[in-house]
Amino acid sequence: MKSTLLTLTLACVALLVGCDKSDTPAPAATNGHLTIGVAFETLQTEYWVAGFEAIRADLKQRGDTMLEAVSDSDANRQLEQVKNLITRKVDGIILVPKDAKTCLPMIKAANAANIPVVLFNRPADKSDARSVAIVADNLALTRETVGYLVAEARKAGKKVKAAVLLGDLGDINAVGRRDGFDAAVKGQEDIIDVVARIPTEWNQEKAQAGVVNALQANPDIGLIFSSSDFLFPSIVSALKSVGKYHKTGEPGHVLLGGFDGDATAYQMLKDGYLDATGVQDVYFEAAQSMQAILDLRAGKTVPEVIRDPGFVIHRGNLAEKSAQMWGARVAAKK
Amino acid sequence: MTALVRRALLSDYFVLGLCVLYAAVVVPFTPSFLSVGNGTNILSTLFPLLIVALGQMAVLITGGIDLSATAVIGLTSIVGAMAINDETGWLAGSPLATPSGVVIMLAIGAAVGMFNGLAVARSGMPPFMVTFASMTGFSGLAVWLTHSKAINALPSAFVVLGGRTGVAFGIALAVAGFAHLMLSRSLLGRWLYAVGHNPRAALISGVPVSGVVVSAYVVSGFLAALAAVLYTGQAETGSPVLGQRIFLDIIGATVIGGTSLSGGKGKVLWTVFGVLFLKLVDNSMNLLNLSIFTITMAKGAVILLAACLDSARARLGTP
Repeated sequence: MKSTLLTLTLACVALLVGCDKSDTPAPAATNGHLTIGVAFETLQTEYWVAGFEAIRADLKQRGDTMLEAVSDSDANRQLEQVKNLITRKVDGIILVPKDAKTCLPMIKAANAANIPVVLFNRPADKSDARSVAIVADNLALTRETVGYLVAEARKAGKKVKAAVLLGDLGDINAVGRRDGFDAAVKGQEDIIDVVARIPTEWNQEKAQAGVVNALQANPDIGLIFSSSDFLFPSIVSALKSVGKYHKTGEPGHVLLGGFDGDATAYQMLKDGYLDATGVQDVYFEAAQSMQAILDLRAGKTVPEVIRDPGFVIHRGNLAEKSAQMWGARVAAKK
Repeated sequence: MTALVRRALLSDYFVLGLCVLYAAVVVPFTPSFLSVGNGTNILSTLFPLLIVALGQMAVLITGGIDLSATAVIGLTSIVGAMAINDETGWLAGSPLATPSGVVIMLAIGAAVGMFNGLAVARSGMPPFMVTFASMTGFSGLAVWLTHSKAINALPSAFVVLGGRTGVAFGIALAVAGFAHLMLSRSLLGRWLYAVGHNPRAALISGVPVSGVVVSAYVVSGFLAALAAVLYTGQAETGSPVLGQRIFLDIIGATVIGGTSLSGGKGKVLWTVFGVLFLKLVDNSMNLLNLSIFTITMAKGAVILLAACLDSARARLGTP
């Protein structure tokens, strides 16, 4: 017993005592170039990968160093990683948190170390923790996207049953998109009947099962809105399984709308299967993240939220807008 | 030379030696690895993992496995936060909010463990299936309770439990000490090993096998809930998906330490060293600025290596 307790205690003490008291920074900022910590919650969807790569490219262009950390959807691991970045005395942190609440201790820790924190695409809850969030107007973009689908349904002249795929409602972006959908269909009950609200928690398997169930219960669903484009493969698979995956203009076409603007959505738009999607400007958000860090370091006043205006892309403006769609650039590289 | 290798491999301190060796190798590449801040950072994440791994060790010793440990962390985290948060909690504002919240969390963890244990011991279903089912069910319950929403505004007295490394150290030390006493000095400890070695022989020898199995799962559920107290305090947030991704770490740390997946073998000290080794690997790879893909593959390789070493040690230890 004694030896166990003694060993445990000694192991902990040795870890601390053996440490260099100077808290040696790793790659210090040299020649005016900065070291920026980039901590992402996940890289499991094209959007996050595109964001990560856009930040990497932006930092490289500036001659700055990027220290990366991805927490694999584990909030406690992300806290550890952010503390690691603080220990290494980075000049700024760009963070994609797991959710709006678990990031608060991370931001507070960075605040205490006087390191500016920018939240990329996912803002934190209101609190005394100081950060800047670069985020799309999820509600407005979704309302506009779904509004386009409603207008298309109205052109067909008959009432359409609709399904919406909801994201993880612990993610404020998912809440914004849900609210945007609700705002767009409100007052449109004469043409839109929402028969299924499918919780996906940003999970493709759950999305597919949910769409299959919804199509079984309501085989005549004529409009589906997905809170993220990365769920389209699940939706397409479910539609194909019941023979309802048709191009625009073909009989039985299900109106499809999404959010993000990824490569899959671009390809579906080009092929005529997708009607519209709300595009977040990942390159704008990456550039603004770095600019916010520079401004904060310079002591300038930076608004708590910087809006990515984004845009809606649909068949009507595809040729004009595709150059600004990050998914089109990703698709071109494939 | 062969005798020396054999002694090293069979030593209780083998994994500690690996930790020292590993640290010596990575330090030249990661100067901040030995900073005080980084040491504190490693320890703050080590203690909750150690606690949940000790619970898993108790089950592994009996020859079982508890896949529901991560679901218990998520479920107890969100229920505890629902109970004690300062805004909408049932106990909001009460001076007893923190102790009551902790008791509620521990009771739920123990109850889930009891459910698992009874299902394994009484129905004879494989532990993998029972705990897989309860992992799925209780994870779903945790998400359903708040529709996936996290809850913060937790009382500061609760946050301190996980947020202050010293407090977490005290809790982990007490748990490790108690677990060591239980395994090495108590009848229950001897029964756990006996059941893990050969449940049939243990039954014939008068060991209450069912009761021992149930106890192991109760300990696992209880300690997963205690780990949830620390994790929730660290994150200052109750979340239904808290700890969802750490199962590999729990099993990896326990097996790296030397606890056998076949049952009958495991020590508190081994698990302490296993957790330390895994955290050192995890932390250093972050400091080396490796990508998540590389880190995950490297951790998989380390766990595989540990399993190979475990099997080599088992062969060497067999007369």
